Amino acid sequence: MSGKKAEELTPEAIEAGFEKHGFVCTGEVSTALYLSERLEKPLLLEGPPGVGKTEIAKLWAQFHETDLVRLQCYEGLDEAKALYEWSYGKQMLYAQLLREKTSELLAGASSLHGAMALLKSEADEFFSRDFLLPRPLLAAIVADRPVVLLIDEVDRSDEEFEAFLLEVLSDYQVSIPEIGTIRARHRPKVVLTSNDTRDLADALRRRCLYLYVDYPSFEDELKIVRSRAPGLSESLAERVVRFAQSLRKADLRKAPGIAEVVDWALALVAVGADGLERTVLRRTLGVLLKNREDVERVLQDLSRFRS
Amino acid sequence: MIEALSRFVEALRAEGLQVSPAEVVDAARAVDAVGPERRGPFRAALRATLVKRTEGLTVFDRVFERFFAPPARGSGRGERAAKGGVETGGQRTTRSQEEPAPLRRWPAEPVRPRPALRREAERARPRGPSPETLRERLRRLQLSGERLVGRVRRVVARREVVPERHAGEPPDLLRRQLKVPATTEEERRLAELVPRIVEELRLRRGRRLRRSRRGRLWARQLFRESAGREGVSFTLPFRRPRLRKTRVVLLVDVSWSTARAAGYFLWIATELLELGRRHRVVLFVDRPVDATETLARWGRRALAAATPSAPPRGRPRPGEGIARRGDSFASLLGSLRDLNLEAPSDYGRAFHALLRSPLRPRGRDTVLVVLGDARTNRFDPLPWALEEISRQCRGVLWLVPEPRDRWGEGDSALETYLPYVDTVVEATDLEGLARGVGKLLGRL
Repeated sequence: MSGKKAEELTPEAIEAGFEKHGFVCTGEVSTALYLSERLEKPLLLEGPPGVGKTEIAKLWAQFHETDLVRLQCYEGLDEAKALYEWSYGKQMLYAQLLREKTSELLAGASSLHGAMALLKSEADEFFSRDFLLPRPLLAAIVADRPVVLLIDEVDRSDEEFEAFLLEVLSDYQVSIPEIGTIRARHRPKVVLTSNDTRDLADALRRRCLYLYVDYPSFEDELKIVRSRAPGLSESLAERVVRFAQSLRKADLRKAPGIAEVVDWALALVAVGADGLERTVLRRTLGVLLKNREDVERVLQDLSRFRS
Repeated sequence: MIEALSRFVEALRAEGLQVSPAEVVDAARAVDAVGPERRGPFRAALRATLVKRTEGLTVFDRVFERFFAPPARGSGRGERAAKGGVETGGQRTTRSQEEPAPLRRWPAEPVRPRPALRREAERARPRGPSPETLRERLRRLQLSGERLVGRVRRVVARREVVPERHAGEPPDLLRRQLKVPATTEEERRLAELVPRIVEELRLRRGRRLRRSRRGRLWARQLFRESAGREGVSFTLPFRRPRLRKTRVVLLVDVSWSTARAAGYFLWIATELLELGRRHRVVLFVDRPVDATETLARWGRRALAAATPSAPPRGRPRPGEGIARRGDSFASLLGSLRDLNLEAPSDYGRAFHALLRSPLRPRGRDTVLVVLGDARTNRFDPLPWALEEISRQCRGVLWLVPEPRDRWGEGDSALETYLPYVDTVVEATDLEGLARGVGKLLGRL
């Protein structure tokens, strides 16, 4: 275990460690992280966008004082982009050099067999680790200390890629035809995130521990806003959080996430606001809501949200 | 502790949650890691290991509260927390007074070669077919040619038969407008045509699947193979279509004006789709209600004995005559407690609630089918909610049980929804409904 010893790791220690970085960590989050470490299982974080799923993985790496290897998933992501690629440019250059050196190389061979053996040993070099470009999954497997592997927004990838992930996540090993099987020297701590835009396969879910990360409660969100925007007055912080929480209950296209609420709080500090008057909202609401229709709707029905 | 856990898992399974043996083992390890002393971490450990879907969280919380109820205020340490539960307040967990259920023995999962290993094996195989294989392929090619001729003959023969199937059918019955009020007897007569429509659609689907089994000629592969053999190709490569496992969400308006069309449509659709986790049915008037389980039982088992409330307009409720083995569609609707049949239909609210619910169609393998006239009673249609749903799934198919010239008139918001719909079918009669279901089957 890098950074932290096994006996140092408790849910309380995780909460305290996250708190240091200004992240309000609930008991559920700390227990899930603790269990993922103890049971050596990947942790699947699911929930609406903007609740801090990716942040949890980043802080998990900081907590362990190790590197974060991030694989951002998207439609069309395949093994080549996630696992490894051959460095064709380097191979071409090598071939060019080899061509010039062939006669020199074969000068020492006394027979045809000898010449062939010499050529073969050189050809094998083409597909050695020197020409391998590790992509995030392989990089996490071959790392010389346990890293945190973040597979972000796995629901954006295709089902085929999800099936491929199953193999990697169950054995932590990768087969490269030209080289052989590479096993992880240190098991990476894997965190997967999903915005729940696509139903993930049961097989993948079964292999992971699961945590649904929802929007925080009023008290927790207030704590977050206070710690991230200390310049905001106590009463305004409360009104900001209450306003954001009421927006989440409304029929909006995009409900504000925690990061947006913090940004809005900082924006209110920057403009020197001391209340949520219409003029202040008109100037700053774009920080909180990312859709023109939503902004207009909220401004039209302000009394409902400000109460 | 393991016995208590096993009983807890049984209780979760009884509530419909799928918990695999591997997850039970994980749960046991997790409880061992956090200890059963403190309720919060204990609950979080079980939640993280036993529930893997958002939909299951509510069930888990309910069963957990029932099973591991906290000790009553002021009760002693040794007092039992709940019947069938364990005490979580003290250091020691105790079993209930009942005898522990024996631990199940789970069968080992069969060992299958992993995909990558199969790929490796494929790569290791010698390239190029042997002479025996080539001879065999040539023989198959001749056979398939003969089969092709036979198939063409059969198709031609069938085409001649198809018009005769409807020849004896009164055309006015199939084309009877479903929005026009009808007596229960008229509904019953129309319902008699449904099994035949289902059979026709099933046959059509079977034909399509047989046609697509082999796939289309793969020109690029043909060129590649020919190039490798000096311009001679020994086989005709066909590109098989990828088998798609499409999920379907049927969102059906069952308000008074569309209930009859909804009844026939759901009958046809549920005969052709196996309802369950893959295919879901959501009914709505003002808000969506998951009716998958009830629809799956329609005509198979007696529905809950709830009877619909008395019709307020002094005429029979639509769907009384649409009955499968004695279960009428009207009584099916009446058995759904959360469905308010007297409410004015509100499409905007229904789409928005669907978007926010775990039932929402999501993923490129999911198709949303809407049946309704989009009459929103002047409520905000919230077209962005449908836009969002449409963006998250493969396609939206809309069946409108109203003539085309009335679309968008009055309180109809159909025109605001149509930009987010891929296919729209005018389904004013049984023929239109069959056409719509045919379109849906074409996407599966």
